[in-house]
Amino acid sequence: MLALLAQQVPDFVRPDIDWHAAAPELTLLTFGALVTMMDIVWLEKGRKLTSIVASIGLLATMVPIITLAVDGADRSMFGGAFVVDDYALIMKAVFILTGYVVILLSTNYIAEGDYWENEYYGLLLSSILGMILMASARDLITIFVALELLSIPAYMLATWRKRDLKSNEAGMKYYLMGVFASAIMLYGMSLLYGGSGSTLLTDINESISGPGDPSAVVVLGIIFVIVGFAFKVSAVPFHTWAPDTYEGAPTPITAFLSVASKAAGFVALMNMLFVGFFGRDDVYEPVIWILAALSMTVGNLIALRQTNMVRLLAYSGVAQAGYMLAPLAVAGDVPDSALAATVGYLVIYAAMNLGAFAVVIAVARKTRTAEIDDYRGLFHWAPGLTVAMTVFLFALAGIPPLGGWWAKFRIMGAVIEANTAAGVVMGIFVAVNSVIALYYYARIGVKMWAEPAPDDDTAPVRVPVSLTSALVLTAAATIAFGVLPGLVGEVTKVSLLAGVGG
Amino acid sequence: MSDFLRSYLTVAIFGLVGFALVGAFLGLGRLLRPDKPNLAKTEAYESGVDPTGDMWSQSNIRYYIFALLFVMFDVEAVFIFPWAARLEAYEIFGLIEMAIFIFILLLGLLYAWRKGVLKWV
Repeated sequence: MLALLAQQVPDFVRPDIDWHAAAPELTLLTFGALVTMMDIVWLEKGRKLTSIVASIGLLATMVPIITLAVDGADRSMFGGAFVVDDYALIMKAVFILTGYVVILLSTNYIAEGDYWENEYYGLLLSSILGMILMASARDLITIFVALELLSIPAYMLATWRKRDLKSNEAGMKYYLMGVFASAIMLYGMSLLYGGSGSTLLTDINESISGPGDPSAVVVLGIIFVIVGFAFKVSAVPFHTWAPDTYEGAPTPITAFLSVASKAAGFVALMNMLFVGFFGRDDVYEPVIWILAALSMTVGNLIALRQTNMVRLLAYSGVAQAGYMLAPLAVAGDVPDSALAATVGYLVIYAAMNLGAFAVVIAVARKTRTAEIDDYRGLFHWAPGLTVAMTVFLFALAGIPPLGGWWAKFRIMGAVIEANTAAGVVMGIFVAVNSVIALYYYARIGVKMWAEPAPDDDTAPVRVPVSLTSALVLTAAATIAFGVLPGLVGEVTKVSLLAGVGG
Repeated sequence: MSDFLRSYLTVAIFGLVGFALVGAFLGLGRLLRPDKPNLAKTEAYESGVDPTGDMWSQSNIRYYIFALLFVMFDVEAVFIFPWAARLEAYEIFGLIEMAIFIFILLLGLLYAWRKGVLKWV
């Protein structure tokens, strides 16, 4: 019996490993293991060092990413399951730089709150490892492993303020919704695998695209996979976990979830849409269209009524996810512009949203809360923070000449270029929602600049160096992307279609 | 109807038969048995002994930690068995790969040991 089974096993072929292509992941893995080993050897004595080692690890990971970008050649491993191309490199750079800024935001917060530090940075690094793996994943199993690798540490990081009930609630909700979403997505993936007999996205594409109507199995598979990622990017109606999780989690982790985790969801979704489901736009376009229109409208309308800054940013993040989904709703008609618009928006969104959370963390060092009413008269005691916050909020609203304006402009460009009724209506949705969003962003501006401080308390707040450098970095990026739009336009002129061969 | 859906028809029929069987036996029992309610009959059955304590009893947290460690080794074994069966084919390449895999898992065990999780307090 065993001999019979052994005969059926194909001969093992040693996979060809391109060490240069895998270098970013391997570097980050090494540093993640190093942080754990430091914890094993020194325990709490090493806590001052771990944040430094973690940030060195992230900067070291940037080196192979840059050499790969300079080299420029597309690399592919494991039969096409792991691909390094321009798109993957840009997203890897975004994840690494986001992670670096999150460490800058975390250092004082975690140390002063007396939370476990060694594990915190170790988990952060492994979550980022999952993200950069996701950028290269072109295979259902690789995508799923990357998704779990980035999610499971994030569930734990959300509960890091373990003495606070709200943080427990945050982690619990995030965990339950995340697992639920994984299960739905896994079911969709199993249907796709069952229908095509392969886990490689290019093979799946070959079997599901082609003329004629798709089979019911393919339609269900595509919809379930999209729904699974819709949870990850907190698109309406799968957004309910986001505000509670964002409010309860430590604020640096909130920034991490709302930027890096959301971007990872988009990366996976784009891998699926532009490689796996390419040519099946008759199935995925309506689904994405509904998600996009609902996300921006519902997100913006609920954000109008928020009194807490973090919850407001959570709902604004839901609306922003809607903007980023908008070009994907016309991805079948204008694939190149749609991909470039969404990638460009992700890059700019990372800068402006991280910046907004940096200000929230800085202000909370004095007020200890994130209520919007505490931002009254901010100009009188923290003029620098007020200017920075105004820049970030107006960038999120999409006012020229800041980065967010250019990002939104490209989204409008893509949906109009599609020249379909659905595209034009989506353009109207984006335009109307931008006006609604301006109201609540500008309302905070008025509170900060024009109203007196509560109790005339104008004692200044001490902002540590790491937080200041995070603010400077994100503000510089937000302004630079707006003033020199060619910068991000040149960088994000990418195409995933090479993988399809057509 | 396609073959694919037809194979699910079998599943559906099996499901229906299952429900019908359970329903039939429960219904039959209800018709045949005498109905004499009694306080002792509503008590929880614990192998014939008188029930003690609350149903919502707590389990000790250390079982949870040991369960976690058990899962770690269990999953490790799932990967190692097939690897060991085919080691000749994988040669030195497979050996190094598995060494890396075990090293990363070992870090987890070392971490647990260093944090004092392995002590039975």
